[in-house]
Formats: sequence, structure tokens, C-alpha cells
Amino acid sequence: MRVLLVEDDVDLSRQLKAALSDAGYAVDHAPDGEEAWFLGDTEPYDVVVLDLGLPKIDGVSVLERWRREGKTTPVLILTARGAWSDKVAGFDAGADDYLTKPFHTEELLARLRALLRRSAGHAAATLTCGGLRLDPRAARATVNGEPLRLTSLEYRLLHYMMMHQGRVISRTELVEHLYDQDFDRDSNTIEVFVGRLRKKIGSDRIETVRGLGYRLSPLAGESDAA
Amino acid sequence: MTDAGAIEPPAQPEKKEWGRWFGRPGKSLTRRLIWLASAWILVALLVTGVVLTSVFQESALRRLGNMLGDTIDEAVVAASITPEGEIFVGEIRDARTERLLSGKYWMVAEQGPGGQLQVVARSASLGRADLEYAPDLDDRLRSAFGQTISYNAEDGPKGEPLRIAASMKQLPGRTAPVVFFAGVDRSDIDADTRQFATVTWVAMLLLGAGLVSAVFIQVRVGLRPLFDLRDEISDVRKGSSHRIEGVYPVEIQPLAEQVNRLLTHNQETVERQRTHVGNLAHALKTPLAVMLAEAGTAHGVLPDMVRKQTKVMQDQVDHHLRRARAAARAAHGLGETTPVCEVLDELAVMLERVFETKGVEIDWRAPDELAFLGERQDLQEIFGNLIENAAKWCKRRVRISAGASLPGQMVVVVEDDGPGLPADQRDAALKRGTRMDEDTPGTGLGLSIVEDLTRAYGGRVTLADSEMGGLKVLLELPAAEG
Repeated sequence: MRVLLVEDDVDLSRQLKAALSDAGYAVDHAPDGEEAWFLGDTEPYDVVVLDLGLPKIDGVSVLERWRREGKTTPVLILTARGAWSDKVAGFDAGADDYLTKPFHTEELLARLRALLRRSAGHAAATLTCGGLRLDPRAARATVNGEPLRLTSLEYRLLHYMMMHQGRVISRTELVEHLYDQDFDRDSNTIEVFVGRLRKKIGSDRIETVRGLGYRLSPLAGESDAA
Repeated sequence: MTDAGAIEPPAQPEKKEWGRWFGRPGKSLTRRLIWLASAWILVALLVTGVVLTSVFQESALRRLGNMLGDTIDEAVVAASITPEGEIFVGEIRDARTERLLSGKYWMVAEQGPGGQLQVVARSASLGRADLEYAPDLDDRLRSAFGQTISYNAEDGPKGEPLRIAASMKQLPGRTAPVVFFAGVDRSDIDADTRQFATVTWVAMLLLGAGLVSAVFIQVRVGLRPLFDLRDEISDVRKGSSHRIEGVYPVEIQPLAEQVNRLLTHNQETVERQRTHVGNLAHALKTPLAVMLAEAGTAHGVLPDMVRKQTKVMQDQVDHHLRRARAAARAAHGLGETTPVCEVLDELAVMLERVFETKGVEIDWRAPDELAFLGERQDLQEIFGNLIENAAKWCKRRVRISAGASLPGQMVVVVEDDGPGLPADQRDAALKRGTRMDEDTPGTGLGLSIVEDLTRAYGGRVTLADSEMGGLKVLLELPAAEG
């Protein structure tokens, strides 16, 4: 497993590099944003540990560049500020996990293991519906190639509707598949989630069939193979 | 669905407009202007009315006086001394003087030996009556010898008001001066004067009302930009707007620009403070991370102490940095608004991803239009810590519902299906530096940070049991109105 460690503090880099090597990773180290971006762009890493406060180019910008160029390597960000706005900005840029300094080294190793487990086994059978694409193994969805940021309930709803696309699905059926337990089963719930899903995937993809339920279909002009 | 009982705000009664315009003038510019202008108008109209009426009366009386002077002149010309030494007044052309009580009279008097005036001749119209003398008549006549003086008398021969003219003359062949009187009924003139006065005062009253309402309109229209500015500032205060956008007259445009500059300055100060605080955090925490990593998992007195003290230092740094940020926020005061849905959505997506291995499901509900009256970073901080805590402790489910409660306020409930927190530990959880999760580094201050920030916004945090089994955190926070 190759890991790219991006950290500007000399001591912390040395310690982390040692800890990662001990854990069996092949470690490359970049002390600033420019080198990090270059390495990440040219070498096939399995996971990246990225400090946000970097010289030359800051961490969020580096991450944004990688994602724009289509790199899907899982990235764990390190933040010293601990502010949620930094974490959210990191996730918007495409991060997969965060850790606030100071942290225990074991915690970092555990998080990296989890990230690698999650990213393993990509390229599974995906579901498509026009420009919508859903990867059930990674639990990720995209619309026209752009990643969708869905909560688990929204994802579950979209998954079910994509498995049954073109068919009218009743509210009762949806609510039964949305919640595995018996709470919150009121009719309003589905409307709330369908509303949010429409905002994220485009409102025309889900059609309301009065009195019956909802139907998901490709947009007019979109081919199913898109 | 556990929507936090949205209560309609009670309809607020319209503010009494009239009280604002006509109350005590001391504190209102509008009132001061209206009152000053009204007082000035009142005085000006009063003076005009008085002057007009008296000028009218004067001129009417002068006309009467001239006519009476003519009669006196005629009487003087017609007067002659009889051989018996008496004064005789011949025929005067005005026929009215011949008809009894006609309203026009003349009379001749001569000073007797005692200095008293004695009537020596009178017009037929007078019958046996005399014309009234004015007080001080003698002195006035003497000082204006040969001239005509006029005065009013209220009791004529038939009780009518009279205008009387008198003139002292020296007749040839007489040593004592002779006084000629002429009088005329002045009821017509009095009636004319009264009518003129009535018309004048009614006109002044109408004019006054017209002018005062013109002033009222002028003040309202003239001061409208000020009221608009006041409304805009109040919008900024309430958070429904960020800057003063309107274009104002040259006199107050600088004021609007200054307000904008102040807002920007305020914003920059808070931003600077925050960056500063962030830099300090960065500067302190990386060395802490180095120390913690160096201590590693080794056992012994030194590594144990380093681990323990690092944790204490981290807690202290965290706490004081949050306090500084909360204070910066409180000093900022003027409100931004942050849509609650957006923040909940981004945090839910992010934290489900972070806790993906555990399969955490974050179910949030909030009305689309609900907005927090405060900065996005602060709401992210509050919600981020609460939801992260809930996600960490839950078995699988976290539920969040937010809704408007009172006007300007919202209630947010964050709960989970975890083990919950015993009632006796809840106070401690909100206090500084208490770690409920000793085993998970870097996140123990969640609840106390939430408490600090919520307080800075004038809100409240309450902990309770959730029906889902875990902890239920109730937040009261300021909401943007409308």
C-alpha cells in the first residue's frame, strides 16, 4: 500500500513517516502543496494524508486540483484549527475523512485502514438512469459525472427508485424500504425526502403520479447508456 | 415526525402613527419640524388677520369722518349771527337733517360763562335730544383748533351707535369759540366691519389648515429618506440584509456609506480575530501532536506524563480559543443569516461518510425557510460538534429536527439511540474540559463548545433523555424573522 504524507512540520512528518512505515505502508513525503500536487498527480497512491495548512499551495486547493483532474484516491485531511468550517471545506473539496490535531497515531492508522477498506472493490456493477449513476458497493452516486452529496436516507431512496426505475412506486412501499425499523413512518416523510432528492438530482427526474406515488425515469433526450 | 412545534407568532398591533407625529416634540425630528412650522404659521396668520380687520375699519370710519366734515363745513357756512346776538344756522342741503331721527344730525354749541358747552342750535332731525360729548372733548378741540376730530358714541337719539365729528371754530363777531357737531348712524359700518372680520378669520383658518397640512406632507416626504435609512439599518440588525443598498440624498448618503464602512470594518475585525485565533491554534497544536506522537504508546513515567499533560494543554487551548471566537462573535452583533437546511445537509453527508464503517444514519428535518441569525461558521461549529457527538455515541441512528418556536427564535433537537448520559453527569458535560469520551482523542470538548457559542448568541442548551434511548440535546437559538 502506498501512502502520500503531506505535512510541513518536520518533527511530525518524521514521526508519522516512521509510524506509517512500521504499519507496513510505503510512504512518500511532501513538505509543501506544490510537491504534494505533483506527486499526487503522477504517482498511483492508495491513500493520502493531507495537512490543510501548507506552504505554497494550501491543502484544500491541492485536493480540489486532484479531484478536478479525476483522481479518486481516498484522502484524509489533518486540521489544526479544528473549526468545522475547515472540515466542511475539506469535504466539499473531496476529502473522505478528517482528523483534528493533536491526535494519537493509532487513531490515524485505524482511520486509514477504514478508508482503504471502503475504497477497495470499486468498479462494481453500477446502476444508471440517464445521467444518474449509482455505485452500490461504494455507496456513491453521480449525476452527469458530478458526485452527489447524499445523506444515507436520500441515498437509500435513490437506490430503491433506481432499481425500480420507470415504475410507479407508492409512498407506503418507499417508506417501508427507507426505514428498517418502525419509527417515523408518516406520509410526510417521503415527500420531504423526494423534495430534497429532486433538489440534488434535478426536479424533472422524479415524477409525481397523483394518488399513486413517484416514478423515476431518465430525462427526455438522455439515453440510458449515458 | 418530531417537528419542534412551530408556533405562529402573535399578530402584533400596528404602531399608532398619530402618536408618533403629534406627541411630545422633544425627541422626534418630525414633530419638532411640524410644531415649529405650525407655531410660525399661527402667529403669522393672527397678525395678518388683526391688521386686515383694523385697516378695513379705519378706512370705513375715515370715509364717514370725511362726510361729517363736509356737513360741519356746510353748517359753518350757513351759520350767521342774528341781530339779537344769537347764532342761527340757515338751511343745509342734506334733507336727512330735516327729518326727525333720520340718523344724520348736526348741532352747534357755544362755551358759556362757566366754561360749559351750551347747545345753541341743532338739526331738526335731533328733535330735542343732544349729541353726546366725548370725554376730554374740550381739551382735544382746543389743541386741534379749527380741525375736525371724530369719536364714537353709543347712544344716539333713538339709541343707535353714532360716529360724531366736532370742530371748534371762531365765528366773526363772537369772542367765545363755537363748536360745530355732526353725527351719523354707524350701524351699517359696524355690520360691514363685523362681516369683513368673519370672512377674514374663516379664510385665515382655512389657510392655516392648508399650510399646516402642507408642512406635514413636506416633512414626511422630505424626511422619507431618513425613515428609509432607519428601516434599512433595522433590516441589517435583524439580519435580513447585509448592507445599506439604497441611494440617498446627498445630505445623508455619507451617513449610509459610513454605516456600510462600519459594517465592513466590523466584519473584517471579526474575520481577522478569527484568523488570528486559528493561526494560534495551528501554531500550538502541531507541537502538541509532535509531543503526543513522540510519547507514542510507550509506558513509563515520562511518556505517561507527556500524554496526560498534552491532553490537558490541548483542552485548555481549545477552550480558550473557542471563548475568544465566541467573544469575537458577540462583539460583532450585526447579523448575518445562515440557512439551517444547508448546514444540516452538508454536515449530515460529511459525518455519515466519516462514520460510514459504523453505518450511522443521520435523519434531519428542518423547514426550507428556517434561517439562523448568525454566522455560518458558528452554526457549523454548534451543529458539527453536536452531530459528531451523537454519531459517535449512537448505535446507528441520529435524529435532528429544527423549527421556529417564538418569533425570532428556533428550537433544534439533536438525539441519538445510544446509551445516553445519566442525569447527574449532564451539568459536567456542558462544563469546560470534561471528557466524556476519554478514549477518543481530540473531540471531548464538543458539548462545552456548543454551550459557549450558544450562550454568545443568547441561546440555551438543555440536555434530556431521548425517546430513542440516547441523549437528547435541546438548543434554543436566534432565528431570522420573516
